[in-house]
Amino acid sequence: MSIATPDTKPPQRILVVDDAATVRMYHRKILGDAGWATDEACNGVEALERVHGQDEGAAYDLFVVDINMPRMDGYSFVRELRRLPGVPQVPVVMVSTEAKSHDASAALDAGANVYLVKPARPRELVLNAALLLGDHAAALKAAGALS
Amino acid sequence: MRTTAVAAVPQITDADFHKFAEFFYRKTGIHFDEGKRYFVDKRLLDRIAATGADSFRAYFVAMRFEADGSELQQLINLMTVNETYFFREAYQFDCLVNHLLDEVAARKPRGSRIRIWSVPSSTGEEPYSIAIYLLERWARIDDYEVEIVSSDIDSRVLEAAQAGVYSPRSVAQLPKNYLNKYFKPTQDGNWRISRDLVEAVEFSLVNLSQPADTRCFRDIDIIFCRNLLIYFDDLSRRVAAEAMYDALRPGGFICLGHSESMSRISSLFKVRRFPDAMVYQKPLELT
Amino acid sequence: MGLKKTSEAGTALRRVEERTYPRDAGGLIAQLRDADPAVRRWAARDLAVHAEAAPRLCAQLLEERDASVRAVLFSSAAQLGGSAVVEGLLPLLRSDDAALRNGAIEVLSGLPEAVAPHIDALLRDVDSDVRLFTVNLLGNLPHAQVPEWLGRVLNTETEANVVGAAIEVLAEVGNRSLAQPLRAVRLRFADDPFIGFAAEVALERIEAA
Repeated sequence: MSIATPDTKPPQRILVVDDAATVRMYHRKILGDAGWATDEACNGVEALERVHGQDEGAAYDLFVVDINMPRMDGYSFVRELRRLPGVPQVPVVMVSTEAKSHDASAALDAGANVYLVKPARPRELVLNAALLLGDHAAALKAAGALS
Repeated sequence: MRTTAVAAVPQITDADFHKFAEFFYRKTGIHFDEGKRYFVDKRLLDRIAATGADSFRAYFVAMRFEADGSELQQLINLMTVNETYFFREAYQFDCLVNHLLDEVAARKPRGSRIRIWSVPSSTGEEPYSIAIYLLERWARIDDYEVEIVSSDIDSRVLEAAQAGVYSPRSVAQLPKNYLNKYFKPTQDGNWRISRDLVEAVEFSLVNLSQPADTRCFRDIDIIFCRNLLIYFDDLSRRVAAEAMYDALRPGGFICLGHSESMSRISSLFKVRRFPDAMVYQKPLELT
Repeated sequence: MGLKKTSEAGTALRRVEERTYPRDAGGLIAQLRDADPAVRRWAARDLAVHAEAAPRLCAQLLEERDASVRAVLFSSAAQLGGSAVVEGLLPLLRSDDAALRNGAIEVLSGLPEAVAPHIDALLRDVDSDVRLFTVNLLGNLPHAQVPEWLGRVLNTETEANVVGAAIEVLAEVGNRSLAQPLRAVRLRFADDPFIGFAAEVALERIEAA
């Protein structure tokens, strides 16, 4: 018996923004293992260049952004992102080493959707990403409902 | 007991390559993937030999801890192609005549002056390319007075630029009709650019790190600074970028080389994407 | 219209600005407070050759709100270098303003000899954020003692984020003597998935995996 193949949409694309190479590697591995495509940038300026460099139809579906980066920090990047004309308003997960509550509200004020304390546990990152991407299969898997 | 074999020739292992690639990306924004392995390894081995290091590890440690960054600068020289010729990276000139000039002109009355600064001038290929593009490909060239200023730190190249004689290789990218229109062949197989174009560019001797030199560049509308800053150390790069920020009018544009990025230099400029190119802009509203 | 010819009388490049203030250090320092950011920027730029202005340049960073002036204040501090600049910038590591902090770290990382005597105390600071930012500083500091300082962090640090940052830097600058401390710290933070991952990468990079 043949099973109808799902239409082969390209995987959703996530931009990981962090000044630490190992953290980028770590987040990319977690997100890649969950089935998504990833790109990286090491500060807010480079992240904006990546965004501008995307062709139509290859835009990012999600951003995972560190707060504390040189050159342009996470807050500034997200504020700039939200101001860009013609760029779809894509969800943003913000990550930070700081657990102070004012950072969470600052993140949300800047335009982030979710704030996670870094480094995020793999399941927590995947679950949040999946929910923001509308990727129900991945969300269920991360929540442990599927073995 | 393990026998210690002394390698006759240093090797670049996968771990070495990744360590180097991450370091180089962090410092320059240039990303080397596996496909560039041969290219990178060869040049690393060249520098390892040239510096007398006995292994990649020894070479990398020496470079990483060198206070003035001169070995990194050497490597950057080797890892990047630095050749000048007419219409090099022409997509930026397309952007100039298709978009940048129109945005700049929209903020000025007809007949006013538009200033373009090309630095480094090197032997003149870039400023003259800009001049040709303006004359041939900007519809509104007759409505504005365009001033091209061009600078270099090296007086010999400035002299060569003003002499205006070029090799066949240097003019190879020019459409034939432009070549015939703006150049005359010389006796020895080269091409001499027309005096009209030489007189359309104001050349000057300038060190971008010296405020005394850059102070007099004001109200510039568009700067071309391509494949120069990448050869500067971190501090000189910032100082030069900040000097160019001051030289620009609000809303002015700056174009860097295709493998260069402000992300490693300065956060003062906005990123602007146009169909032909990505450029940087000094903010219009000054807060 | 068209291209302007240089043979025309052109004063564009050679125009000399009328100086309303003297360019000595005192006059320039006064201009650091001018209402016009361009005047403040130029004052900051011209102070790059006046060593006695180092404390004032650093102090101005705390008050300056314009990013373009801040950038030049930092650049001039970097060009001056020396212990006065280091002492002026170290307090910025405690700032809540990320741009100020990172600007200070960037300048400090270019002054390895002047910064070195302060590293031990910074790595023992009661504030874990300061310890974290010090590790970030070490990440770009061209000083031969960096691996040793990081080794000490691995052996004594209790905050996972600081340890993680130290492991990150060791992936680049570590040597084989750090292999054992890396394995030990991986055990100590066995339930932290990032530290496990980062330690693996570092061990691979220093080829002791």
